[in-house]
Amino acid sequence: MIEFDKVKKIYPDGTEAIREFSLKVQAGEIVTLIGPSGCGKTTAMKMVNRLIEPTAGDIYINEKKVNSYNIHELRWNIGYVLQEIALFPHMTIGENISVVPEMKKWKGKKVKKRIDELLEMVGLDPTTYQKRMPRELSGGQQQRIGVVRALAADPDIILMDEPFSALDPISREQLQTDIKTLQKEIKKTILFVTHDMDEAMALGDRVCLMKDGEIVQLDTPQQLILNPKTEFVKNFIGERKSPWQTAVDVICDQLSSHVLTKEAFEQGNFDQNATYIVTDRNNMFEGVVSMGAIKPETLTLENDLPLYKAAALIQQHDNQHLFPVIKQGKLIGVLSNKKIVEYLRSKTTLENGVIQ
Amino acid sequence: MQEFINVFQDRRGQLLETIWEHLQISLLSLVIAIIIAVPLGLILTRYPRVAEPIIGISAVMQTIPSLAVLAFLIPFLGIGKVPAIIALTAYGLLPILRNSYTGIIGVDPALKEAAVGMGMNSFKRLSKVELPIAMPVIMAGIRTSMVLIVGTTTIAALIGAGGLGELILLGIDRGADINLILLGAIPAALLAIILDLILRGFERISKRAGFKSFVAMLLIAVLVVTSPFIFNSSQRADLIIGGKLGSEPAILANMYKLLIEEDTDLNVELETGLGKTSFVFSALDKGSIDIYPEFTGTAIVTLMEEEAESNDAKEVYEQAKTGMDKRYDMALLQPMAFNNTYAVATTEELADQYNLEAIGDLQAVEDEVTAGFTLEFNDRYDGYVGMQDVYNLDISNIRTMEPGIRQDALANGKVDIIDAYATDSYMVELNLVTLDDPENLFPPYQGAPLLRNETMEEYPELKDILNQLGGKITDEQMRQMNYEVDYEDRSPKEVAEEFLQDEGLLDN
Repeated sequence: MIEFDKVKKIYPDGTEAIREFSLKVQAGEIVTLIGPSGCGKTTAMKMVNRLIEPTAGDIYINEKKVNSYNIHELRWNIGYVLQEIALFPHMTIGENISVVPEMKKWKGKKVKKRIDELLEMVGLDPTTYQKRMPRELSGGQQQRIGVVRALAADPDIILMDEPFSALDPISREQLQTDIKTLQKEIKKTILFVTHDMDEAMALGDRVCLMKDGEIVQLDTPQQLILNPKTEFVKNFIGERKSPWQTAVDVICDQLSSHVLTKEAFEQGNFDQNATYIVTDRNNMFEGVVSMGAIKPETLTLENDLPLYKAAALIQQHDNQHLFPVIKQGKLIGVLSNKKIVEYLRSKTTLENGVIQ
Repeated sequence: MQEFINVFQDRRGQLLETIWEHLQISLLSLVIAIIIAVPLGLILTRYPRVAEPIIGISAVMQTIPSLAVLAFLIPFLGIGKVPAIIALTAYGLLPILRNSYTGIIGVDPALKEAAVGMGMNSFKRLSKVELPIAMPVIMAGIRTSMVLIVGTTTIAALIGAGGLGELILLGIDRGADINLILLGAIPAALLAIILDLILRGFERISKRAGFKSFVAMLLIAVLVVTSPFIFNSSQRADLIIGGKLGSEPAILANMYKLLIEEDTDLNVELETGLGKTSFVFSALDKGSIDIYPEFTGTAIVTLMEEEAESNDAKEVYEQAKTGMDKRYDMALLQPMAFNNTYAVATTEELADQYNLEAIGDLQAVEDEVTAGFTLEFNDRYDGYVGMQDVYNLDISNIRTMEPGIRQDALANGKVDIIDAYATDSYMVELNLVTLDDPENLFPPYQGAPLLRNETMEEYPELKDILNQLGGKITDEQMRQMNYEVDYEDRSPKEVAEEFLQDEGLLDN
């Protein structure tokens, strides 16, 4: 857990990088920091591993002030992924990964095992890649090693400073997917700085939108889109490249009349000809009912799936018209073709007769 | 070519010895320069504000000619290997310092941040990240410095440090003897190339092994180079006899040694070939050497900075003797007979062609002839300055050059007149004529042993021993002995011994 308590940073030249910053990142949560350049997002992040010292206020890790830790040990226990990737060019991939474990005086065997384990985790064959030099890898592969290096000594906290911004769009997307998959497994506390709204939305459990050293809005991605607090938030989100990249939970109908409780279903208290989504008392998704019976195979959509990916899946399921949107088993809303059309229509503007 | 091979075969022993000395001096200087400059460069990267001024200072040291550094150090450190190594070290600092600094500064800031962010301390960051990455740049600096030092070490021979410069300087002194010069220059170049290859090979190894191997290399180099010093720390001899560069001082110094050893049990060493007057005199003053043959004229003009009050040899000697005693607390013993004064010389043909007999005759042809003078002669009152004054001359073409090459310039027709020393061997070889000096502009230059009064008191017997040479050795004899050393390649010792035996000063 990371906690910022009324943190301020004023540089010697008088620049106020951080005004008053309070933020709590829960254990196992990803918070993405986003905002226009110069908003202080990177400064805020670098204060966690003390690359930058705050002028006022305190930062706590697991309820202990960061200053009370030995600075080197503190850093060994915080994974750090840089925008520039910054693998050490004179070391092999294996050596790069083992830097922190070796400083923590892990045994040789344990380090070796860990390298193999991590490389497999990101889909790189340990026997081939361990002895390679960083320059022999593609950019995407390099940053995968960058992430793995941060994970090497199994820290609880990971800081990521625009880690994918230097990559081409395809590698970037792949790495974002990897991080999401990985996070389900490793459950780290992650502070993730980005300037890409789509990335912030896709990865963050919560998104922290900053401006001029202050938090403008700290919310889940859906809330940010549905209930922007200020015009700035609205505009900033509006900078997204295309509505097709919007996550389905933003588009879906959260108050659908097509949701049926398990009890109502068991009592047969519904229209036999319509299609329903069935949930239990805790709103956990149970199944889809069509023509009075539970369908054996149904397509469900993960809440953070972007629309263009969802559309591809929907196309493959001709005989399904309602799609449950699910987050960790919980029903968030229902996506229908009608809702998609409505959303796309609402995001399209005409300017002098030209579609923008 | 055949000649070169002959010279090579004759001097194989000397060549090996000088190569070893050369290697020793250059490697030790290089290692010291590395030990100073690399850490300094690293420290400067942590204090970038003072970096530029300090690198600037080392750049200034680089611009001072190495010869000047050597001359500057003699009064403090004397002669021999130590001052040479210090001067060469100072000389080699800049490239290493600058490259170490820029190499480390040039490491990608992202890598430094990664290292810090991962929890490396300053030393770990340096040894694991910055040094290995900057290594190629630092090694480039070390290699540049190595070439500089190996090249400059040739000059160290001027202050008695030895090395391949001995051969080169000897070659220059003997009228640009091309074979001797090459015999010194080629191994020096090869040495630089081989060391460069070794350093490059080392660089390749250290890329992987990093900091530890760097330290290991330094240790090995230090051991290799200093072991002879450690095992060879013999006692200083009782007396060290010095001498300027050239055959004449070498012959005289050998005579002193032979005479002293004949009559006493003192342990005498020779340190000849010490370059110019100022070098040898500083060495005597400092106590690095104890005796050397000096000229009466030089003592007055150069050392005492006076003008000769007379042109009578005896009075000049008295003036020099008193002056040296008063001003420097040194004793100038009895002079030998020969007068190695300055003379203006030309070839017989030119003398006929221009009708030259006395210096004053030059006035008629002052716009036609080209003069080849040594820097020293050109700048002295008892040289060209006085010639302008006394004989009202203004020669339009004057080339200044090293003493060793002016006779060649004359022989090749590049110049028409030169300044010469009366007893120099090439007077014989080239059949030169000297122009008369009716106004007695050039004071007498008689050779005499110069030593500190302190030495005289310690070994009073030296006076009688060295005075045995007083009034001996005529111009003709001296010229002949010089000729034998310079052109017949006999050793100064042999020539000296033969003379002393002929004179009955030495038992056979």
